[in-house]
Amino acid sequence: MLEIQGLHKSIGGNEILRGVDLSIEKGDVLAVLGPSGGGKTTLLRCLNYLERADAGTMTFLGRKMDMPALSRREIAEYRRHTAFVFQSFNLFSNKTALQNVTEGLIVARKMAKAEAEERAMAALERVGLADKRDAYPSQLSGGQRQRVAIARAVAGEPDVIFFDEPTSALDPELIGGVLDVIQDLAEDGMTMIVVTHEVHFARNVSGKVLFMEDGRALAFAPTKTFFEEQKLERIQSFFRSLDRKE
Amino acid sequence: MSERVVNILLISFPRILGQGLLVTIPLTVISFSLALVIAVICAMIQIADVKGLKQLVRFYIWVIRGTPLMVQLYLVYFGLPDLGIMLPAFPCAVAVFALNEGAYCAETVRAAIEAVPHGQMEAGYCVGMSYTQIMRRIVLPQAFRTAFPPLSNSLISMVKDTSLAANITVTEMFMTTQRVVGRTYEALALYSEVAVIYLLFCTVITWLQRMGERRLNAMNGGNVIRA
Repeated sequence: MLEIQGLHKSIGGNEILRGVDLSIEKGDVLAVLGPSGGGKTTLLRCLNYLERADAGTMTFLGRKMDMPALSRREIAEYRRHTAFVFQSFNLFSNKTALQNVTEGLIVARKMAKAEAEERAMAALERVGLADKRDAYPSQLSGGQRQRVAIARAVAGEPDVIFFDEPTSALDPELIGGVLDVIQDLAEDGMTMIVVTHEVHFARNVSGKVLFMEDGRALAFAPTKTFFEEQKLERIQSFFRSLDRKE
Repeated sequence: MSERVVNILLISFPRILGQGLLVTIPLTVISFSLALVIAVICAMIQIADVKGLKQLVRFYIWVIRGTPLMVQLYLVYFGLPDLGIMLPAFPCAVAVFALNEGAYCAETVRAAIEAVPHGQMEAGYCVGMSYTQIMRRIVLPQAFRTAFPPLSNSLISMVKDTSLAANITVTEMFMTTQRVVGRTYEALALYSEVAVIYLLFCTVITWLQRMGERRLNAMNGGNVIRA
């Protein structure tokens, strides 16, 4: 459903992505792991054109696109099929939880207000925050904010959702609730690419793993193979260092 | 205080206050409204980095902030007639105050827009909104909350600065007071009186500012914590 080939990106003279390939099918959950500075977040931002790739082709829903050459209109059209969940939530701080979810539906997709609110309430219900519909982001905890952000992503009925370290900014006791919501989505067959440091989550929820280091995909494999038959010494030592921290 | 002075104060009070309500306040309100329009346009041009126009805006702000308001008033009212451009005193004052305050407020508004985290823009893009939609519905409302106190400052300054319009024959409060002083020679009492009226006007604005801030806070769900 989504295939990337030869993705390159430099920022300020630094080569962040040095030719990344990946592909996912409908219903796949791809976990992107790896050390900080490896290019995980930049990869995800390029996938949603928050950063413009220097080179690379994307095949999405059967359409092949030259990533650097996409026009503003084509990007807008592509984004109708995708959603993005940020590490720092980025809820609209002047809008209530409900309005955060309806905003894109009403303004960008020209949906009638009643219909948008119905859909938004269903999305808030799904993340367990229907009772917070009138709360502003400043009145919500970090975990609740991230769940509203997920509701906002889901409400657009995207073909794929990109998660950029969705739990990294949360207090430890709030992480579980957010991961549960993402796991529910996975079980419902939502296609997702999740950049994460939560190895357990990757192991239990994802179907594929992409391991990034120095702007390259060191490994791209089914989750079971990745964890149980890992031959690369570099990746083994990465997980050993994580174990030591825990 | 002699009975004479008290009488002069009592008789002149409604006259000075009336001129304040009829001239000073309209002059301030019209000029400041125009200044806000100028400010938002100039700020948006700078934020959106419109080539050519941006340089023009920087030039405008540079010139206005680098020259005295009084000189600007004189230039427009006494100088432009040399080029055949003759404006009546009141519109002339409005134009100068609006252009002058607009330059200062443009910087306030630009700073407030830049203070809105970039993530708000990105989140807007990701739900499919366009640049203009995000600006209008997400960024500007948040920037307005930030800009509100410094803009109130500017408004309060402008109420008092309009007294300079007396120099170009606008009969606002201060000039009216000068005329009464000219007839009665009670400078201390009358200038104190007009000072109190200015203070009164500014007190009302301060009070409105507090109400406005409370409302804007409520619209953001308490004190704004950006996330």
